[in-house]
Amino acid sequence: MKRLSRGLRALADCAPIENVTAPDRRMRTAVSRAKRMDDFAAQQSFDQAIANLVQAIPVSREIEEWFANEKMAEGAKRSWRKTAFHPAILAIGIALAVIAVVAWIKFDEQMHAFPGTATAKKLLNVAAMTRPSDFEPVQAEAGTLSDLFFMKYRLEHYDVPREFSQQRTIGVRKFDDDEAGEVAQIGLAEKRMQLFLFPASRDSKTGRPEEFEGWRYIEQEGWIGAVQARNGILFMAAVRGTKKDLAPYLAKQ
Amino acid sequence: MANLPQLYRFCFLMTGESSKAQDVFQDTVREAAFLVAKGEAPADRYWFFREARWRCLDVVARGVQPEEGTNEACEISPQAPEQIEQLEPEQLAIWISAAPEPQRSILALYYLDEFTYREMMSMLGLKLHELSRAIASGRREFQAWLDATVPVAAEK
Repeated sequence: MKRLSRGLRALADCAPIENVTAPDRRMRTAVSRAKRMDDFAAQQSFDQAIANLVQAIPVSREIEEWFANEKMAEGAKRSWRKTAFHPAILAIGIALAVIAVVAWIKFDEQMHAFPGTATAKKLLNVAAMTRPSDFEPVQAEAGTLSDLFFMKYRLEHYDVPREFSQQRTIGVRKFDDDEAGEVAQIGLAEKRMQLFLFPASRDSKTGRPEEFEGWRYIEQEGWIGAVQARNGILFMAAVRGTKKDLAPYLAKQ
Repeated sequence: MANLPQLYRFCFLMTGESSKAQDVFQDTVREAAFLVAKGEAPADRYWFFREARWRCLDVVARGVQPEEGTNEACEISPQAPEQIEQLEPEQLAIWISAAPEPQRSILALYYLDEFTYREMMSMLGLKLHELSRAIASGRREFQAWLDATVPVAAEK
């Protein structure tokens, strides 16, 4: 006769004594297979005889009187309020709330992310560290600097959008960054605002610049940036403050 | 809700003495009543058996300890039910209460036929193989003890 597997043998050893339906499927399988074995019938008779002996344990009158306490020992049902304020439930609730908030923040970040977010954030840090003396002094309208960038640095399409083209500049500089590539940085007189122009990242499959529509905001350590993509170049206006410090400029047509 | 007659039988199997079983049973039910009065009623019937188990182990540990040693074991005999019929419940309780832990608790709970194997695993914090090994070896050892104690039936 075929032997039972180790797992089924272990379950058959703990099989219910009364001939009741086993509580789970694995146990039912184990019992039905074990019933084909010779020794299982002996085991069941053995267990049944001991269980009968256990049920024959005499219960004294003194003990029987305590059975009247069954209702008392049952106790009241725990109310939902008490359950909700149980420290373990409370701790789980707080943990889930924190996880939900973090997940929402991450989701929100992803929703507002655009190609070049990481580079733009890095340049916001550069903006925070740049002093006016770092610039090469140039006093002109920002919109006229495209020619300067092309003539002096061979930077094509480094055009300041018309929303900022009328702003007076205090200086410019060009530097190379490992991630951003060739970056043109312009210092403005107004609100010590800074403008950045740098190449958009390229799609690894097509090689085309990754662009997006309209203005996108990013924040980093008290600085706010508004980013736009055009002709494969990203433009970012950066200022210390919040979204509402930049919003009036972007509303200009 | 705990089945109180079964709870008493459990205490009896665990201690092997009706007076000790009675004390543990009463202390357990009294503790439950005390908790109910405090508004912290035991959450389920397992509480009663867990509480009684610890009390039984404590009571037994303070009493005379059985000698340690490996029990003889033999395969279950077809005459076992007839042999068992000749026993008194006290004899079974003495045998079970002398078994080492956790086999003692496992056998006491198993032969109450009150809990599923999953419930026993949860109550005793054991894995399936530990539970099954204790029950299976308990059967064989009890059979060996039966053969020595009720030889007439064994010879039939």
